[in-house]
Amino acid sequence: MSKKLIIDSSVLIVLGRKGELEEYLKKRKKEGYEILIPKAISRELTEEPRKLATEIKKRSPLLAGSITQSIEAIDAAIDDGLIKVVTVNYRKHSGVIDNVRKYLSQLEAKPEHAIKKGDPELVALVIQLYDKFEEKIFISTQDKGLLRALKSFSTVVEYEALAY
Amino acid sequence: MSERTVSILKEVGNPNKARIIAHLAKHRGENAEDLGKHLGYPLPTVYKYLRELEVARVVRSEVRDKTRLYYASDFKLEVSPKRLMDMFEEQSILSLYKTRFGDDGMKRLGEVAEKVNAGKMTYRQAASTLGISYYEFVSLLDETGAIQ
Repeated sequence: MSKKLIIDSSVLIVLGRKGELEEYLKKRKKEGYEILIPKAISRELTEEPRKLATEIKKRSPLLAGSITQSIEAIDAAIDDGLIKVVTVNYRKHSGVIDNVRKYLSQLEAKPEHAIKKGDPELVALVIQLYDKFEEKIFISTQDKGLLRALKSFSTVVEYEALAY
Repeated sequence: MSERTVSILKEVGNPNKARIIAHLAKHRGENAEDLGKHLGYPLPTVYKYLRELEVARVVRSEVRDKTRLYYASDFKLEVSPKRLMDMFEEQSILSLYKTRFGDDGMKRLGEVAEKVNAGKMTYRQAASTLGISYYEFVSLLDETGAIQ
């Protein structure tokens, strides 16, 4: 069975900007990983940058073009099955999501409802996959704050952070 | 720099595509199969390139006797240090951010990047604090070399 690897948007965006996304994903697949992202992250990778590209298209066409290219690379990776978008079961993992929100809101002194979906969904997905497959889950991110949030769940989930 | 200039630059910057344009300028009205044979490119690649070249309007096509024939379109490209400077200045999220938020914004970015690198804040929290999208924030870290 393939190893489950959750990749955070930060890694995918940087690879996309360098034009190395497809190569990286294929390499990981060859190494036996199944690459997964939660839905909230797929939105960060496509909808938000698409909006930005549209806004700046007139004054910065080249930049808009390169943003669009990186969105297309993500779309292609999803269409080709190199990245699988997974829906987080909110009902089953509402406790985890609430705890991540609480943890992050304390860090930043912001109300829980102001916490963006990506962080809680990522942590919840690690736990969801661990519950389902009962094997170590791999995560690739450059975000130390996110890894800290995940660390608070290390008693209920076995995971390993991979450098990209 | 106009969007058209940028598109042309992008297409002719690829030597394989530039060869297609050059070939079509010499042999007017060639179909994709012949083009692939003459240049030694696989047919799917030829179709992909032709599609992109047509989008950039440096190649056009028409159907004659049930065969699609391709032609090089007429275009002129002027490249100068000034034009390149304009092009590269605009090609950064950092320059967009600077224009939008000024020196105060740069200062805030530095403070937030520090917190992020210390793990005291997630990237998403940082983006939200700065009032920009997650994509912009990661791009800013990448462009400023602040990703650790």
